[in-house]
Amino acid sequence: MKIRINKAACVGNARCWAVSEALFPLDDDGYIEVEEVDVPAGMEALARRGARACPERVIEIIDEDGDPK
Amino acid sequence: MSEAASLSKAVPTPDHITDAVFYDFDMFFDPAYLADPHKRVQDLLDNAPPVFWTPRNGGHWMLVSHAANFEAARDTETFSSEVIPHAQIEAILAQLPPDTPPIPRAYPINLDPPLHAKYRQPVQGVFSPKAINLLKESIRKLAGELIDAVLDQGKCEFMSTVAQPLPVQVFLKLLGLPVEKFQTYSALVKAHLSATAGDAGSAIARMQDVALAMRDTIIARRDDPRDDLISLLWTVKIDGQPTTQQDIENYGVLMFIAGLDTVMQGMGHGVRHMAMHPELQSELRANPALIADATEELLRRYTFTVPPRRLNKDVVFEGVQMKKDDRAMLFLPGADLDPKEFPDADRVELNRGGKPHIAFNAGPHRCLGSHLARVELNILYEEVLARMPQFRLDPERPATFSGGHIIGVQELHLVWDK
Repeated sequence: MKIRINKAACVGNARCWAVSEALFPLDDDGYIEVEEVDVPAGMEALARRGARACPERVIEIIDEDGDPK
Repeated sequence: MSEAASLSKAVPTPDHITDAVFYDFDMFFDPAYLADPHKRVQDLLDNAPPVFWTPRNGGHWMLVSHAANFEAARDTETFSSEVIPHAQIEAILAQLPPDTPPIPRAYPINLDPPLHAKYRQPVQGVFSPKAINLLKESIRKLAGELIDAVLDQGKCEFMSTVAQPLPVQVFLKLLGLPVEKFQTYSALVKAHLSATAGDAGSAIARMQDVALAMRDTIIARRDDPRDDLISLLWTVKIDGQPTTQQDIENYGVLMFIAGLDTVMQGMGHGVRHMAMHPELQSELRANPALIADATEELLRRYTFTVPPRRLNKDVVFEGVQMKKDDRAMLFLPGADLDPKEFPDADRVELNRGGKPHIAFNAGPHRCLGSHLARVELNILYEEVLARMPQFRLDPERPATFSGGHIIGVQELHLVWDK
């Protein structure tokens, strides 16, 4: 599973980071630092929760088959 | 704002407003709104068009649905935050006599991209979640002291004893202003809250007073920096240029008008809900880990800010014809109570599956202080629930509210058993 983030559209709500600081690292301004994250085994549920928490809807979960969910 | 307050005069309806999008609502003085604001918000969702035009307060659009707010907030090319265009304000200021006292400008809340980012970027780090987390313990101490001071009374008017002083004290601490300024800023908050809509002259005078009250400290920190926000603001650059005295006063005024009565109202709405729902208090006292979820859900249930916009061009938006220079209100309280987005929207449910609200707005103008506000609300709720016994509304003295760009709680009388 991968997380894909439209970084340019991040406005710094940091709600994903509130779900998991490890999966959704922030830069010094409090905006998302990464565009793509490989989700370690066992963290899939956190990844989905973090994606759902984004008020701007800019986080996408890509499953193993490559389809956005 | 008593119940006797009268509605503003209705202006003539422009030609492009059809009957289907006309709805008469005074966001400052509607009697049902002032009696029970969020109940009236739900009534608007049920009975008014999702995007409507009202003839009150000079005539303006109201974007009520979640969809309309979410789209408009992120479409800054159409929905400008420059209610008066920036260039026009600059032209007016340039014509003032040179000895006119500086007029504070609350940048970047009233600027559009790309200029918006030039003034926002330098202060983003200061308000980032990591930076704000460092303030938690001092906020907890302040909150505890304010609550302890009323505990023995068995009752309190919550807004004046806790909800208003707490953000003022946090503001003083964050900026590095002397604690002796507490009374000055409390009085300025009161003047700000009781100001009537549309009096631009007194609004400018109040902003000048806010800037004046911090001027000495700003000058002192330039030469003798400390560990506070004002000192930090002397070290940042705006568009590559060092900050000036005026820039720092502008930021200070922004933080005053955006950060004090807002947090205060959030506390008022949230604590009022808890007072009406002892079962929620019991649930949260039994499981304090749920208070963070309650903070979010109460922000959604009682979203209270209504940011203004100006149409930058003619547009058909959500099927509605709007014209350049029309004014539009992002009625965020409607967005977060929209049943299309939140089923059973009137219910406070701690587990909504992580679905986000837009109480802090959406798009590039997302509330800069949102992380500080969340921390202040969360800690206040934690300390209230930890220190106070079960509390309820005083049946003798019902809460009173104000309308306008912020749905305010004027008085909130609580009682509890000593």
